[in-house]
Amino acid sequence: MSFERIKTHLPWITLVLLVAIVGMADANFLRPHNLINMAADIVPLFIMALGMTFAIYIGGIDLSAQSVANMTTVIATVALPVFGVGAALICVVAGLGLGALSGFVTTRLLVPSFVSTLAVGGIAYSAGQYLSGQRALYMNAEMRDASFGWMVGNSFGIPHEIFVGGVLVLAAVFLQNRTTFGRALKAVGAGEPAAVASGINVARVKIMAFALSGMLAAIAGLLFSVKLSGGSPTIANGFLLPAIVAVLVGGTPLTGGVGGVVNTLIGTLIVAVIRSSMLYFEIDATQQQMVFGLVLIAAIALTIDRSKMRIVK
Amino acid sequence: MYELRKVEKKFPGVHALKTVDFKIGRGEIVGLVGENGAGKSTLMKVIFGAYQPDDGAITIDGKTVRFQNPRQAMEHGIGMVFQEQSLITNLTVMENIFLGYEQQFVKMGVINWKAMASAARMQLQKVKLDIDPATVTSKLSFAQRQLVELAKVLTLEERIDGDLVILLDEPTSVLSKEEVELLFKLVRELRSRASFIFVSHRLDEVIDLSDRIYVMKDGAVVDVVETDNADVDAIQHKMVGREVNKEYYREQRQKPYQADKTLVKADGLGVPPRYSGLSFELHPGEVLCLVGTEGSGREAILRTIFGLETPTAGTLAIKGEQIRRFSAQAGVAHGVGYVPRERKIEGIVGGLNVYENMTLSQMGNYSRSGVLRIGEEKKLARDWISKLAIKTPSEHKDCGGLSGGNQQKVVLAKWRSGGSDIMLLDHPTRGLDIGAKEDVYEMIRDMSEAGVGIVLVADTLEEAIGLSHTIIVLKDGEVQKRFDCTPGSKPSLYDLVHYMI
Repeated sequence: MSFERIKTHLPWITLVLLVAIVGMADANFLRPHNLINMAADIVPLFIMALGMTFAIYIGGIDLSAQSVANMTTVIATVALPVFGVGAALICVVAGLGLGALSGFVTTRLLVPSFVSTLAVGGIAYSAGQYLSGQRALYMNAEMRDASFGWMVGNSFGIPHEIFVGGVLVLAAVFLQNRTTFGRALKAVGAGEPAAVASGINVARVKIMAFALSGMLAAIAGLLFSVKLSGGSPTIANGFLLPAIVAVLVGGTPLTGGVGGVVNTLIGTLIVAVIRSSMLYFEIDATQQQMVFGLVLIAAIALTIDRSKMRIVK
Repeated sequence: MYELRKVEKKFPGVHALKTVDFKIGRGEIVGLVGENGAGKSTLMKVIFGAYQPDDGAITIDGKTVRFQNPRQAMEHGIGMVFQEQSLITNLTVMENIFLGYEQQFVKMGVINWKAMASAARMQLQKVKLDIDPATVTSKLSFAQRQLVELAKVLTLEERIDGDLVILLDEPTSVLSKEEVELLFKLVRELRSRASFIFVSHRLDEVIDLSDRIYVMKDGAVVDVVETDNADVDAIQHKMVGREVNKEYYREQRQKPYQADKTLVKADGLGVPPRYSGLSFELHPGEVLCLVGTEGSGREAILRTIFGLETPTAGTLAIKGEQIRRFSAQAGVAHGVGYVPRERKIEGIVGGLNVYENMTLSQMGNYSRSGVLRIGEEKKLARDWISKLAIKTPSEHKDCGGLSGGNQQKVVLAKWRSGGSDIMLLDHPTRGLDIGAKEDVYEMIRDMSEAGVGIVLVADTLEEAIGLSHTIIVLKDGEVQKRFDCTPGSKPSLYDLVHYMI
């Protein structure tokens, strides 16, 4: 069996192997309680990675995701006393708008997405700093529970974050597999010139992909701020690298066109296992990003489609 | 001198070279002919080291050699003059000639330009090209660039000891008649310096220039003909495997078109500098052929009608409606279908399966509020798979894995199933084998019969003449002549070439 054929199965094989290795090192890791908590903890990151999947699937990238999430934690905290549940809508619209802006800059002004999203990320970051007065803000516990308590409760021993993540992944799978947008996304990712020559409005598809990415980053930020009961313009720092790693180790290469949201689910679980294994193997928290950096390099080198990228700059 | 013995080359799914024997002597000019896909380019790539044979031997003067790459082949005296020229256009002529071999002119890390220029001038003399070696290559004409490329290959003469073998890949395809004659004269004179392998699909030229001709078909050498008793028809017969006759292009099925209705009307249309002042009408059932050399504006015209190019002059009306906003979406909405030349890049999406490709241009017809009705898509795909006899295990097969002919059928099915009644076909038979070509010709006649208006850029002039109701000959983006091609009074090759160059 050739490497090309194994390649599509690599993500889940990696996941199973990692779980087995960590489980052998410490059997406590495999206890359901531990696994469930681990999954619940990773949900905000997963939601961000889910959005990132759309940007990477069309061959782009969204470097603004972390800053958008940062900004939303501030917006959610500031807007909660005034708008209650409505704060969620403001967050979603803000994320959608910034994502669409990245998409517009990429498709209409023809700026590569790694630059356009970096710039839009700068805008989001600074908006968060401005709104927060560069301080960490806290939510009023009563107001938080009244409006968003449902997000972080616990039913039948399962944290509600898992349901939130579950609903979003189902919606994303439906969008990807059953809608004209999902099909157009696939065509743009796999063969953009043919998509253009089939009369697909490629610019609109791309703008929508970035808008979705921005929106999901905002939802990730919202959930994160509800979990931590507060917001700050730097609270989600450290999310970006693992989110990109999750998409890539899941099997959606930087060149786009293959993989998808289910792959990102597996990729995020791999990230979750790596992250908790670092606790078991006593790797210092400050070194985590180093590990993710190395994993990212390995994942890119393994998954990228060289035939689509002849020239590397 | 140079010899290939029982060379084999296989690619996944294709047996590209079947036990090929080939040899060339000192000072000999050998022709290599065959249809697209017969194995000519694979054989050439084996000869100049871009491919390594799976089996068999390459010998030079009886010694077995093995090239890992073209550079090693060059060191053994094998040079190649590429069809799509390999010169870097923003470098000067001399920089191009010595590209990769500048070291000989370097003293203490600095290039001695004077020495390079005089060395370059010497090389240019070999090909009788009197230009300043410091000229930027982009300023040269196509024919001049070809000579520079030949001069570049001839630098091997000083660099290596043995004999030279130079491959000429379709060197005449874009040259004028006079330029072709000059080139041939030069090649004959250069026999004292090198042997030549001349690859072309123009049989008369091959017979004119070569001493012997290798005829290839389906990856094998089917005959080696001495030019003294060569006969165009006989060679053609061997290349194709049977007579090329009127039947081939389905001429008996050519019916008059509906001249009273107009599908497309162009008036003074232009996208300078690619083409300008273009006026024509396309009627239902008409096959309109655009004929011209590479760069005569044919592709740009198709792309304008489809909406991928916005004209800067003139007007275009489709079905009586003036087009103001040019986009592929608008083109598709007006019932225009486009079969692009680059089938694998613009025609099909590799990675999408058969039904996904077929509905890509018409997802609106197979969805409700954005949700796809996948069952109906699959049914459509199954219908067209049987209608066009597409060879695929099922509608779930990735289109990237189909053969060229079947990919082309998927592209045609995409447009026809969506009801396109204006079809723009750019080299629809390029790279297809004979059977698949005939299928495409059959489909063109079917569409014409169904009242579709077709604008065709054909792969060969014969194809253009055989298939068309009308031929428009273009040169440098301007219409030279319009021919009516009623069966029985079709223009000849000569008539067309006369206006092309």
